[in-house]
Amino acid sequence: MRPAEDIKKLIETLSDKTSAQMDQRVRENMLRALAESEKPSALTWPKIGRTIMKSTITKLATAAVIIALIVLGLLEFIDTENKSGVVWAEVARKVEASRGSVVRCRETTSFQPSDETDYSITYTSPRYSRKDFYEGGQITHTYYTDLSSPDTETITGVYHTHKHYLSQTYQKSRNEFFLEQHEDWMNPRYLVQKILSCEHRKLGQKTIEGVLCEGIETTDPASLGPLPGPVTRLDVEMRLWVNAETEYPVLFESKISGEAEGKAMSSEGVMDQFQWDVDLDPSFLEPNIPPDYVDMRTL
Amino acid sequence: MLEDKLLVLKCRRGSKDAMCRIYLKYKDYMLTLAKGLLGDQAEAEDIVHDVFVAFARSSGKFQLTGSLKGYLATCVSNRARDRIRARTRQADALGSTIPLLAGSHDPEQHAAETEELTRLRQAMSQIPHEQREAIMLHLKGGMKFREIAKLQDVSISTIHGRYRYGLDKLRSLLNGEVEK
Repeated sequence: MRPAEDIKKLIETLSDKTSAQMDQRVRENMLRALAESEKPSALTWPKIGRTIMKSTITKLATAAVIIALIVLGLLEFIDTENKSGVVWAEVARKVEASRGSVVRCRETTSFQPSDETDYSITYTSPRYSRKDFYEGGQITHTYYTDLSSPDTETITGVYHTHKHYLSQTYQKSRNEFFLEQHEDWMNPRYLVQKILSCEHRKLGQKTIEGVLCEGIETTDPASLGPLPGPVTRLDVEMRLWVNAETEYPVLFESKISGEAEGKAMSSEGVMDQFQWDVDLDPSFLEPNIPPDYVDMRTL
Repeated sequence: MLEDKLLVLKCRRGSKDAMCRIYLKYKDYMLTLAKGLLGDQAEAEDIVHDVFVAFARSSGKFQLTGSLKGYLATCVSNRARDRIRARTRQADALGSTIPLLAGSHDPEQHAAETEELTRLRQAMSQIPHEQREAIMLHLKGGMKFREIAKLQDVSISTIHGRYRYGLDKLRSLLNGEVEK
């Protein structure tokens, strides 16, 4: 007689593998369902890097309008203070014209584990951006974004821990929310626009790490852009500090808190260690996939 | 567990990468479970497909309270039960008996399995679904009897009974074949 233990062991050896054909079918339909469901819940908090502007064209157009308004002095009407040394129109223009930038980003939220990564470094040029995520001093993964096409955006994720990579091209018209979360957070050129386009006030001067700076602050919830759901008790604080001499941003701080679906949520972010108008080698910004890394689509 | 929670959080934020990672991590586990419950390759693949598509569709509001593996196993089990019920209704409507589970339709997979495993699948197809479910979810799904009892909405002792009777029946069936 065959003992029951043998049958248990036999059952435990049952092992079925999905076929490549099935993987393709499931992946396609699953990702389509995910994209269609990206009407996010109110619990999904907008990243602080999100901007109110959704498409690149809108961003550029809005930037141009803001700069023009500042030049015309119209924004003085909504400033609660005025007459400081920094000309904010010049800040917006310089940031917009920067050939390349580098910035360190740190963000902690009440709804996302803070141990996910320690910080990230974002390198941005007009055509590409690259974001390295660090944990324990090591790069855990890198996102490369190709911004060169007006209609599409290609995001390549390279995951060093598992030696995997995945490249996806998105139609901008169909993935606004997704792209908004990914691209804008990486693109520091929108920081100035973000604050200037909302009700804001000047903070005066302050010395940061030995550098004389001038700041502006907004508490206008409109700076977050359209929220994905009803949020109550929303408090927003965003501060941008600019080197008074070079008129380039040196520090961006944000604090957001609110209540969504009955749950209190908060987020704090810091962007610092800025480098502006730097020449970034295009080959550094293009996806660099080691030969032994595996395309996740083939797994 | 922590990795799964992170992946689910990322899925809630619309991460396609996280969704693919969950699929890669659990696809074979779920297929094995589904095929063990239904005995049919095509139906098992459909179930895994449907579970992942439904998961992706609801990911924005998904709240993980237990383990992701357990949740996915429960989804597979529920859908397998629906399929079994549909088969029963179809058989009733046609005035025939419920067809026996067919086993693998994939000749390559069939050839790759040992004769012993093929006999096991045939034997599994001949025990009641409730017993098969208790055995598969416990031995392959890694679920506790308490969890299976909750899923099937019966007492733990009933699940123990189904598990034990199922194994006894499998043993008889397999030994009967061996003795032939």
